[in-house]
Amino acid sequence: MAKPLVTLSHLYKQYGDNHALQDVSFTIHQGEFVALVGMSGGGKSTLLRLIAQLEQPTAGTITYAEPNLVKRVMFQDDRLLPWMTTLANVSFAAHDAKTQARAKETLAAVGLAGFEQTYPTELSGGQKQRLALARALMAAPQLLLLDEPLGALDALTRRNMQTFITHICDTNHLTTLLITHDVDEAARMADRVIVVKNGRAVYETVGAKGQDAETIARVGESVLRVILAPAPGEEGGSRD
Amino acid sequence: MAQSANTAAGQPRSSYIKWHQLLPWLIPALLIALWQLAVATHWIDSGLLPAPLAVVQDGIKLWQSGELPKNISISLFRATTGFVIGGLAGFVLGLANGLSHTSRLLFDSTIQMLRNIPHLSLIPLVIILLGIGEPAKISLVTIGVLFPVYINTFHGITSVDPNLIEMGQSYGLSKWQLFTKIIFPGALPTILVGVRYALGVMWTTLIVAETISSNSGIGYMASNAQEFMDMDTVLLCIVIYALLGKVSDLIAKALEDLCLDWKTKGGAANG
Repeated sequence: MAKPLVTLSHLYKQYGDNHALQDVSFTIHQGEFVALVGMSGGGKSTLLRLIAQLEQPTAGTITYAEPNLVKRVMFQDDRLLPWMTTLANVSFAAHDAKTQARAKETLAAVGLAGFEQTYPTELSGGQKQRLALARALMAAPQLLLLDEPLGALDALTRRNMQTFITHICDTNHLTTLLITHDVDEAARMADRVIVVKNGRAVYETVGAKGQDAETIARVGESVLRVILAPAPGEEGGSRD
Repeated sequence: MAQSANTAAGQPRSSYIKWHQLLPWLIPALLIALWQLAVATHWIDSGLLPAPLAVVQDGIKLWQSGELPKNISISLFRATTGFVIGGLAGFVLGLANGLSHTSRLLFDSTIQMLRNIPHLSLIPLVIILLGIGEPAKISLVTIGVLFPVYINTFHGITSVDPNLIEMGQSYGLSKWQLFTKIIFPGALPTILVGVRYALGVMWTTLIVAETISSNSGIGYMASNAQEFMDMDTVLLCIVIYALLGKVSDLIAKALEDLCLDWKTKGGAANG
């Protein structure tokens, strides 16, 4: 078993009277691709923000393998800087002398070679997400946090990007946490899938990364059943 | 065949660009032609409204005598000095209040109170305190320019997308890097709108100040000519104001094109 990179222990997060997270505990191991899946408002993004240290938990602890663990977030809205070229967008946070050369290499790795002097407004949705991924990869992160990065893409581009991100993460042995509401995406991309529901991590299963369509569908189905199952005290059945 | 098709397609495009460039000058040219015609055919009394050619001749005469260059220079000096001082003060205050909550609490309320005083209503006070010398006119321009630059800088800084700032923080930018790489470039379009507006205020303020209390400058030339019913010079001054205003606007536009070239890019690719 790979060594733990991030350990969440009895994590709580409260916004006023809203209990966004309640007693969440799990561990992400080095080199692992973990997907957090669940319905909107379930607490997935809150978990990512806590792990990224963009917010602090109300109670509980997050333990990192190193105190200065390099974490990079790829957000759902690409958050690219429109006044910078793609090259500048990738290299804007780096400080060493080899930045430019490395930025070009990183752009090439995500398939954006030749687009160095292009502005983000000139790129398509898929290219923008590739650029956002390149920016995250530029710092050689020890933990890559993907916050529903493909939510705004069309089905075909989305599928291509799923394959692409999985390939990049595998090639670079990146420890990755993916937030998604798409069970198929979670099953297809992850080594491990965790269902977050009503602020709690309620279910965990092995993902189907690199496996056949039938296995992916089976994992997706099992995850979906948990997501749709009524919580204790809720009425069963769909109201649609 | 293909070549001739290209040529045929290229020809109208080139004509269109020329026509497109001339279009903004069409209405001014028509108005001047109409004005000249009206005076030449005695529809309008040339004693009340001299013909454009007479105004041009008056301009040449005043230029050759050295009076026009002297007055334009002094007006330009007052305008640019007031603009630089007021613009810098507005920018610094806008920046400080946009970035610091403490500074905002300390200054913003007072600035908002002062902003609502029409700055031209300060002319009597300024004349009493500073006389009719250069400091009076420059300080009026300074006050006039300060507020539009302040408001737009403050608004620009506070309107920067907080998601971009959060992204910068999560990517480990220092406070200075956050400012230079995200906050300032994000605020720049709004700041430049303030600069463009302030340039208009600069001329308006200077003209009024020079007309009321001065012994030099374009405004003085106009009010002096009015005393002698010298309509050629009065109209000449109005035309000079219009030209100076247009030149200022062109400079502001060029500044926008230079600093915001990324805004003209676009047309996302498909796929």
